[in-house]
Amino acid sequence: MDDLIKDLSSQEYKEGFVTDVAQEYVPKGLNEEIIRLISAKKQEPDWLLEFRLGAFRRWQRMTPPYWGHVKLPRIDFQDIIYWAAPKRAEDRPDEIDPALMETFDKLGIPLREREVLAGVKPKGEVAVDAVFDSVSVTTTFRKTLAEKGIIFCSFSEAVREHPDLVRKYLASVVPVGDNFYAALNSAVFSDGSFCYIPKGVKCPMDLSSYFRINASGTGQFERTLIVADEGSSVSYMEGCTAPMRDENQLHAAVVEIIVEKDADVKYSTVQNWYPGDAQGRGGILNLVTKRGICKGAGSHLSWTQVETGSAVTWKYPSTILKGDYSSSEFYSVAMTNNYQQADTGTKMIHLGRGTRSRVVSKGISAGHSENSYRGLVQMGPAAEGARNYSQCDSLLIGSACGAHTFPVIRSRNPRAIVEHEATTSKISEDQLFYCTQRGIAPEDAVALIVGGYAREVLSRLPMEFAVEAQKLLSVSLEGAVG
Amino acid sequence: MDNRVYVIGRDSAPQYLRLEAGEALAMTLVFLPGTGGRYCLEVDLCGPGASLDLAGLYLCPADGQLDLRVLVRHAVGGCTSRQLFKGIVGGTASASFDGLIYVAPDAQKTEAYQENHALLLSETARAESRPQLEIYADDVQCSHGATTGYLNPDELFYLRSRGIPEDEARQLQMQAFLAPVARRLDEALAEEVYASLP
Repeated sequence: MDDLIKDLSSQEYKEGFVTDVAQEYVPKGLNEEIIRLISAKKQEPDWLLEFRLGAFRRWQRMTPPYWGHVKLPRIDFQDIIYWAAPKRAEDRPDEIDPALMETFDKLGIPLREREVLAGVKPKGEVAVDAVFDSVSVTTTFRKTLAEKGIIFCSFSEAVREHPDLVRKYLASVVPVGDNFYAALNSAVFSDGSFCYIPKGVKCPMDLSSYFRINASGTGQFERTLIVADEGSSVSYMEGCTAPMRDENQLHAAVVEIIVEKDADVKYSTVQNWYPGDAQGRGGILNLVTKRGICKGAGSHLSWTQVETGSAVTWKYPSTILKGDYSSSEFYSVAMTNNYQQADTGTKMIHLGRGTRSRVVSKGISAGHSENSYRGLVQMGPAAEGARNYSQCDSLLIGSACGAHTFPVIRSRNPRAIVEHEATTSKISEDQLFYCTQRGIAPEDAVALIVGGYAREVLSRLPMEFAVEAQKLLSVSLEGAVG
Repeated sequence: MDNRVYVIGRDSAPQYLRLEAGEALAMTLVFLPGTGGRYCLEVDLCGPGASLDLAGLYLCPADGQLDLRVLVRHAVGGCTSRQLFKGIVGGTASASFDGLIYVAPDAQKTEAYQENHALLLSETARAESRPQLEIYADDVQCSHGATTGYLNPDELFYLRSRGIPEDEARQLQMQAFLAPVARRLDEALAEEVYASLP
């Protein structure tokens, strides 16, 4: 068994390659000059520059949060390059740099719109916005989407073409001073996706953003804003990878989602940032603020996340249930191996009457990793008849890892019901024995058991993602059986 | 097994306990109305085979603030701990329960369970629960559960439709809610608990 472990823990992170493209950078460090420079490079209007500077001034007075159950290496914010872009991607050329095309092809992300055969719709059509370091290199299927009035483009483009929409919704869910990393992001955010679904429109295909860190010594600070107007619906997916490096790279993103009356948004993430090597060197520090608001009555927001990457994950996709009878779900699988640390969970803030939320979190820890669920469920005084059900399970593989649960439940309404339960267990010898006895190799048996354990969450993912996630889980797990 | 009962504020209750190998302890904490402030209890399970059976009920039907903190530390393997807390919060009272189960590295074959249930009776009452697990060993069985809710109107209707007056029916509901802990008390104290329900 030990040989098996050694053999498999040397498995490489297959997205760990570096693409060699000519890139331009802003100088290292962070000050008002740098922010003005980033803003100028992106030809931003004055109000956005003011927004950035305001955020920067706030950020300078803030301190990083220490409450997470993670050990963060000291981050020197003056030692990061805040903007890096492939040179040829300036102003969105019609032709994408073939090297970039190849990169995304290698990652399995289709940047070419597949041709539609006469009357035959290709299966699993997905519109992709691909972000490479600090800029979006391309967005596919824009025309098809525009016919329905859907805006799906890079954030920078949205600022130029739809300033009113951006201005109306930017920082309306995650205020500038929300937390240390959100403030930093508001000051230096580079690119990301913007998506607007007009009234009553059901988005005909899944939308997807793909984030890639390539340049060394940089951080990625993307900003995503999704607005679903009354009665609309959309399914949105997000994926990410980075090269293998010995240094820690910072990824501090902000995602804001606004769900109007009767609209439905489904947000899925498969997070596969470089997790560092088996000794815990390098890896991405994934410090992300994601929040959505169910603004109108009957709106619905669903979060699904599969977290397998990053050296440190600090991420709490949250929902503010403001509209009456709005509902939200959070489904998560967080898998940590080697020296990875994850502190992740959700916040469900019930304000409106009859609001409902459901939290299902499955943590899997192996190796020397630490995996925590941290959550808040809050029932406001007006949340008559609101309900929440949370279930957090942890699976421990090996005796050197840790699994923790830190939920907070606050109720201020005598007609609201909150239920929380959590369990911790391991893959029992009996289960393993049962499988091996039937000729299933131990590795496969563990993958089988873990697959079953995570199924409730994986089944929520869109098709293409579910397959990828299943693969990721088994790869991340390999070498963990002991 | 002996069950030690402490009425907080009346009896001198322990704040730190250490259970050695094979020791078993059953303990019940009672917070009668008017008990405010913070009560902290720490229990270390230091020898294999030690077991803890802890229960508590807190009644805050009118006002005041109660802050309850329980830390159960499994320092070695092979120990068992069970916790069951029930609380009723009404009026303008606020109650918070903070319970941590800590399982040290290599404390294998640990069994630890914790439950906290709170009933909210009024618009202005607040309840907060923070049940936490911090686990560093893999061969363990740990779980916790927490709920906050209210008196079920269907149950109330059932009782009233059978001729039981509303106030009495409510009392019955609350007694039933508290019963799993209240049955660990002697009759006189149980009477006192029931009599203090709003």
